[in-house]
Amino acid sequence: MEQEQNTLFQKMWKRKGYRAELRAASALAIKQWQVEFSYPLSVLWFIVMPFLWFIPLILVGTAVAGGPSSATLDGLVGTSDWITYIALGSSYTGLAISLMWGTGFAMRREQNAGTLETLMTTPMRRDTLVWGSMLHNLQHGGLGVILQLAASILLFGVTLDWWGIIPALMIVGLSVIGMQGLIFTIVCIVLTAKQGWMIVEFLSSTLLLVAPISYPIAVLPSVLQYLSIVSPLTWSVEGFRGFLMNGIAYSGAFNAVMALIILDIVFVIVGGLLFKYTESYVRKKGALSQF
Amino acid sequence: MTELIQNDHEASLHQSSDYLETFKPRAMDWTAAKTFAIKNLRIALRYPANILVWGFLPILWFAPYILMATAVGGLETTAHFTEISGYGDFIQFVVIGWFVYMYLDNSIWGIGNNFRWEQFSGTLEPLFTTPVPRISILLGAAFSDTVQGTVQALILFGISTTMFGASYAITAILPTIIILLVMVIGLYGFGFMLAALILVFKDPSVLSELVSETSYMISPVNYPINALPRPVQFAAYMIPTTIGIITIREIAITGAWNLLSFSQALIALGALAVLFWIIGLACFQFAENWTKQRGHMGGF
Repeated sequence: MEQEQNTLFQKMWKRKGYRAELRAASALAIKQWQVEFSYPLSVLWFIVMPFLWFIPLILVGTAVAGGPSSATLDGLVGTSDWITYIALGSSYTGLAISLMWGTGFAMRREQNAGTLETLMTTPMRRDTLVWGSMLHNLQHGGLGVILQLAASILLFGVTLDWWGIIPALMIVGLSVIGMQGLIFTIVCIVLTAKQGWMIVEFLSSTLLLVAPISYPIAVLPSVLQYLSIVSPLTWSVEGFRGFLMNGIAYSGAFNAVMALIILDIVFVIVGGLLFKYTESYVRKKGALSQF
Repeated sequence: MTELIQNDHEASLHQSSDYLETFKPRAMDWTAAKTFAIKNLRIALRYPANILVWGFLPILWFAPYILMATAVGGLETTAHFTEISGYGDFIQFVVIGWFVYMYLDNSIWGIGNNFRWEQFSGTLEPLFTTPVPRISILLGAAFSDTVQGTVQALILFGISTTMFGASYAITAILPTIIILLVMVIGLYGFGFMLAALILVFKDPSVLSELVSETSYMISPVNYPINALPRPVQFAAYMIPTTIGIITIREIAITGAWNLLSFSQALIALGALAVLFWIIGLACFQFAENWTKQRGHMGGF
């Protein structure tokens, strides 16, 4: 028995390479699902969440427009169907929030549960902790997007161009990379500020404000428009909605893809470096488990 | 030196036994409530980033609705909105909604989460073994939330009126304070109910999100109450802030203070307050017994 344990221990320490890290990330994602399912309310929240965010937007739109079409929106973006415009934009919000909050706070949750230091001593790369949580939140948020889109089609008459689904998924793929850079930054805030949820709430609310979720960026003040252009969330929402509304005929495809590729490179490099520096700084300070 | 420490220890033992001998259980301990509230406010101020939450975050939450209304309906308030709401300025309408909603948001996220925070800090069980009535602890948590909620609502109101140019009748100040006072008392009962749920279900983030988003969806913050289906309107009136928003909005925008409708609103809010306090305290007592019997109090 003891020998068996020693062999397992040695095998664990010898593990290396991307496949080993992927297995670790996958195990972390599964663990998070198990934690979530152990809270019955989490399951209920997961099902109703997309609707609770979407319905107030529909109610405001109906109160203001008084019908299913808007001439003002048509003048701004070339479609008068405000319900489809908002439904597709807001469906992506669930995924973005899940990635930012779920992944950004994964380490804080471990810290609260007293398991962060233990996890940090396991023989895996430190950033695998973040990637594992991202994998879980991608599944979690992705299912939310599917749920909201299905309900929007069935209940609110939203129409999709089915040819746009694969390109829209590719946009999601590009978006996740850029968002990961942002998430690394959030993790740094959480690790150093501890009660950093307020800063993260501020950051995520600002990103959501400048993202074209329920309105085009043309209605934003010019300062915020500049901020919007350098946010990966902006191009993710634009690309995702553009492909699902117009299919492969989406005219803004080149701009959205190019902007996402450039922002992905910048955000991943900056976020990765920040994480590496912060994680080593916090460990040197011995402040990993501090509240 | 050792003798001195021993003497100090004996003196403190003597003092505490005096306290215990003269101790009589009370229905309400205001000193404990005050101490708990001050402790919570000290913790809140300990994290300077709180200023971001208190001051600016609500602007980021409600600005998207104003931008969306602009994108869908144009820069001017639409005729349809004026027709169904009775008000000619969407921004003026929304700012009051958010101002009052801040109190509901604080009562949802505050009282119950206080207990969760005590649980994470490992101080929930010791807190529940102190010889003070539970109502003092609950009210202490509620007081600190009211202070934070008021600061938040006032900053939001100040920034919104400056930024968007919304103006209101100055005569609305006194009736607004009266309505807010009764509404906040009702919200305390609402908060006690949530604290009970958090003691049982533990995970406050999901529960608070669920209650917060649902109550926000059915509250007439960004749209008039008649934009909701009839059964939902009934549910909306069961939340104390709904009557608060409607009454304060009418007085603040029109400047007209109708004594009859104001009294009706106060009576309705008072009735809701009594109802929520009865349900809230009963729920909390049940939840406390339930968690204690199962040894779940400090569990995650």
